[in-house]
Parts: sequence; structure tokens; C-alpha cells
Amino acid sequence: MGQKGFFTDTTLCIGCKACEVACKQWNQLPDDGFQLTGMSYDNTGHLGSSTWRHVAFVERPVPLPTQTVGLLDFSWLMASDVCKHCQRAGCLEACPTGAIIRTEFDTVYVQPDVCNGCGYCVAACPFGVVDRREDDGRAWKCTLCYDRLGEDMTPACAKACPTASIQFGDVDELRERAQRRVEQLHEKGLEQAYLYGADAENQPGTGGLNAFFLLVDKPEVYNLPPDPVVPTMKGREAWVSAGWGALGMAVVALGAVLLGREVVRG
Amino acid sequence: MGDIRPEDLEKRQDGRNIDSRLGDLSGEGAQQRVKDTDEANPSRALLRTRPSVSGVNAEEPSYYGQPALKEPVWIWSIPLYFYVGGVAGAASVLGVAAEAVGGEGLRKLGYRCRWVGAVGDIVSSGLLIHDLGRPERLLNMLRVFRPTSPMSVGSWVMVGSGAMNSAAVLFASRRGWLGRVGDGAAVAAGLLGLPLAGYTAVLLANTAVPVWQATRKSLPLLFMSSAVASAGSLLELLPHSSHEAKVLHLFSTMGKVGELMTGVAVRHEASGLEVLERPLKQGVSGTLWKAARVCAAASLALGLWPRRTRWMKVAGALLGTAGAIATRFAMFHAGKASARDPQATFQPQREAMGAAEVTGHTHASDGKPFKFPLPVLRETPRRPERPEAASGAWEPEIPVP
Ligand code: SF4
Ligand code: SF4
Repeated sequence: MGQKGFFTDTTLCIGCKACEVACKQWNQLPDDGFQLTGMSYDNTGHLGSSTWRHVAFVERPVPLPTQTVGLLDFSWLMASDVCKHCQRAGCLEACPTGAIIRTEFDTVYVQPDVCNGCGYCVAACPFGVVDRREDDGRAWKCTLCYDRLGEDMTPACAKACPTASIQFGDVDELRERAQRRVEQLHEKGLEQAYLYGADAENQPGTGGLNAFFLLVDKPEVYNLPPDPVVPTMKGREAWVSAGWGALGMAVVALGAVLLGREVVRG
Repeated sequence: MGDIRPEDLEKRQDGRNIDSRLGDLSGEGAQQRVKDTDEANPSRALLRTRPSVSGVNAEEPSYYGQPALKEPVWIWSIPLYFYVGGVAGAASVLGVAAEAVGGEGLRKLGYRCRWVGAVGDIVSSGLLIHDLGRPERLLNMLRVFRPTSPMSVGSWVMVGSGAMNSAAVLFASRRGWLGRVGDGAAVAAGLLGLPLAGYTAVLLANTAVPVWQATRKSLPLLFMSSAVASAGSLLELLPHSSHEAKVLHLFSTMGKVGELMTGVAVRHEASGLEVLERPLKQGVSGTLWKAARVCAAASLALGLWPRRTRWMKVAGALLGTAGAIATRFAMFHAGKASARDPQATFQPQREAMGAAEVTGHTHASDGKPFKFPLPVLRETPRRPERPEAASGAWEPEIPVP
């Protein structure tokens, strides 16, 4: 089956939101209300339980080296965000019911018939992707079109993307392609281009992302964390601390009884 | 599955608008129930940035100030559960100690602890189930055992503790082997009480929420000492004999001292960066945190008062309880505020307090080296020596406005 994933080349994104629409349509997700965020052309705002692709619109008062603009120093960055299908997935490692599994395509999948809505995955995802829908009670996120992959089809968003900003395939092959693209951009003068989360070396905290990105500005600008970590990596220290606490509690209980008892007899 | 019929979805105007005669609902998200449609802008409050200025050039880059993480979805029953579970765990521990080394005189106290433990465990499960998005699937918690998930570990601990405490209550003061089974169950409940009181802090620390993650070393100690204080306070409120009072008083006093000290440790651990510490200083969580500190300190002071009257004892125990509950709510709301603040996520990671803390790499995911804060900058400026003071030429310090 191999490792499947996305390479999202944000330099190609034109912000058409075809991926958002295709995802909603294929997965038959409910709409998120026809409201304006009031902050930019991005009226989706964030990934959520019923939004599994989200196109970010970053309006910058800085030029892009490869573009010429008429009046002001100005450029747009658009990026289609999605669940990263992390190699070390915070959501998966946190889920107490085993609802979140790693599939044969090496993607991270929430089984809706198992999830009991405890909400732990929501707090455990270092990218703020998975969310619990209040009126449904379960956690939802991108499935990397698990149903389509089973039929040997390309995920809906990658299929719909008119500029090949979203590319789907085997992660190894995508990584190579992405590397070539970065080199090409560097040659063209876009020195800032880099890959975000392509492998464990680039992002040791997650062990690399199956859905990685090509970005041209700081990750924060796209609402991505600069050095994310799967919480489990740090959880060990908390357990050690709890161990010491347990020792302390035992000592306090025994001490209280022994001292209190002696007072009674004396 | 299958709890929604396609016809209903069509009627419900949920934005799918699929005519069930033409298409069927079989997509991955088709089973998602909808009462109200989502909000586009998660923080409906006033915009923190000017429209169209995403903050790329600013010192603190972010995406229009939007949260980088999802706020934990838990409701009030979770912090309350942290309190109740702590009481149950610490009471079980005290109960075993009383029965093991307390002799006949403390046997009654041991039995009372069994009761507190059993009732606490039952109330705890109720509170947890209340928070589940799908309460009818509560048993799925015991579907697997996942050591990487503190919630999974904790569920098993709680179920075990509940079973053991219930058995201990049922078989208390029975003769023969039934009594011995009860005693054995009480010992098991006492052992399980230790993780029961502390795993909730590990559960919080093992998330992406910045302030919880940053305080992972001290938070378990705070929760466990607070559990001791709250169990002691509760048992002091229940009727007890005068020689039991000494044990309980010692127990809760040690808990309160621990609670106050570990509270300082938590503040210290969070103080690595201002954005991390902020929720403990400001807003709802900051107020709760201060209230918790004041309650614990007042309760300790009342407990150590030389000649305590009856009302002082009751007031001390009540304040101890209030302090323990406020502590859990303060940490809970601090986490929510911390998750809402994108800078609390971004800044520590830039300062090598993200993954770099455990993996030791030196560059962020965009290839930029971490900003290691220079240790010199962190030192509190040393006060100038005052030889002048001796010669009488000392100048009064000008208070900083
Ligand atoms: S991005 Fe979040 S939801 Fe997606 S696999 Fe990683 S931890 Fe899970
Ligand atoms: S909400 Fe569901 S998927 Fe998420 S951790 Fe809980 S059981 Fe697992």
C-alpha cells in the first residue's frame, strides 16, 4: 500500500478554494454557515470538525522576489491547510478508545463508530486540527479520503486543485518532487522557499508529516507552529513527577497516622 | 452508525441539501449530526488585528491573531472531576495507612475512607461520562489499553479503584475470608489511589496546550498535594472522633503546606516566558488562581491557630476544600486561555522550548536557529552596592510608576 500523503506547494495556490468545496462535497460535510470573518478574504477561518481543508489568505506588506507589483510593496500568500497525518500523531497517541488508527496507507483515521467524544485528541493535536463537533459529540478531521484511497482514487482536494498546488502520492516520491521544486524556486530567486515537516530531520517533534508543505515565510504566518512536538514525548517527565508525588503521598499518609497515633497513646 | 436517516438530514437544512431520491448519504462525514451550523470565525470577539493585516512583519507573527490550537472542549465537570478523583485517591491512601499501622483505634477511620473512596469513584465516573460527546459509548474507554494515553491509563485506574473500593466497603467488618477479601481490596484501592490522585495532572501535561505542557514537572505534585489537602479537609468535615482528629489534622496540614509550595513551583515553571505565565496572572484563570492561593493559605493559618474553636476547624476545612476546587478550575481555565493565544504556542517553540527540549535539535522547522535567550538577560539586575549609605549620602529609591 505504501505511505500516502500530500505535498502542498503553497507557491502555486491561487486561493480558489476548490479543495475546500471538493472536500465538503465528497465527504458530505455540513456547511459552516455563510458568515464573514471580517479579517480577510478567508471566510473559513480555521480547520474544524466539518472543515477538513482550509485555505489561508496571508496578505503581506512585503514583496515576493519573483513578482512585480505596481504600486506598493505587497504580496499574497495562499496555503491550503489540512490534517498533517503526522508520523507521530498526538491525536492517535492520546485517543483512549482506539478510535484513531493508522491505516494501511499510513494515514491517521478517526473511526466515527468508535469515538466516544472524550475530546482528548482535540487538546493533544499540536496543530489544532481535529475538533469535536458539539451537536454531534464526536471528533472529526481529514481522513485523507480513506474511502477513495481504497478504490485507488486520488483524494478529492488533490483531484480538484487546478494548479497542482495539492499533490497526492507516495510520500517518498513526493519528498523528492518537493525537493526539486525548492531547488527550482531557489534558482528563480525565491530564496525563502523551504519544506515544512517533510521528514523527521526537519521536524523531530512529529517525526515528519505525511502531508507536508512548501512555504515561503515563517510558519507562524500561515498559523503553523515553528517547532511542534507530539505531547507524548514530554509526557514521560510528567509521569516521573507523578511517581515522586505518589511516594510523597504514601509518606504523608503513613506519617500522619504514625504521628497522630503516637500522640493518642502519649 | 445508522442512527440518522437520510430523510432527516434533508429536512434539517444542515447545508448538505442532498435530495435523498437522487443521492445517498454515504460519505465519510455524512453521519455528522448537525443542530447548528459552525461559526466561521472561532473568536467572534472584536478583531485583534486590522482587517487585511495578518501580522507578518510584526515582532509576533501570527495568522490574524487567530488561535493556533483548538481550545480544549471540556466543560466544568472535568475540573470538578479532578477534585473529586483527587479526594477519592487520597482518601483511599489514608485509609490503607490507617488500617495498616493505625491499630484498632483508627479502624473506623479506615472504613470511612473506604466509603469516601467508593463514593468518590462513582461520582467521578458520573462527571466524566457527563462530559463525553457520546455518553452512551462510555464503555469504549475500556476497549483498549493505551500506555501513551494518560486518559486510557487513568480510566483503567479509576475503574479498578472503583471496583476495589466498592468491594472494600461491601466486605468491611465481615468475619473470615470475606473480611480478608475486603481488606485486600482496600489495600489495592489504596495503591490505585496514588495514580488516581496524580494522573489527571499528567493528562493535562500530555497535551499541546502551552501552559499545561510547560508545567509538566510541577503540576502532578500540585494536584497530588492538593488531593491530600482536600481529602483531609473533607474527612475533617465528616463526623469523627477526637483521636482521629489528630491524624486528619496532620494529614490535611501537610497537604496544604505541599499545595502552597507546589503552587509556587508551578508558577515558577510557567515563568520561563511571559506568554506562558500570563493566564495564571490575568483573566478568569488568574483570579481563580489567586483565590485558590488565598483559600489554601487561610485554611492553613486557621489550622495552625493555637487554640482552635469548632467554627475555626469547620471554616479551615471549608476553605481547604474551596482552595482545592479553585486550583483545578484555575489550571483548567488557564489551559483554555493558553490555547486561545497563538503567541503562547509560537514563542516558546521559537525559544527552543518546543520539541527541541526533548529532541535537542537546534533549528526550527523553517531552518532558522532557535532564539536561545541569553542568560544574562534573564538575571534580575543586581542592585548597586551601597557604600554611600554608610557615609550618609544614600539616595531614596524612586518608585517606578
Ligand atoms: S495534524 Fe493533528 S489531527 Fe492530524 S494527524 Fe497530526 S496530531 Fe492528528
Ligand atoms: S474524542 Fe474520540 S477520537 Fe478523540 S480521543 Fe476521544 S475517543 Fe478518541
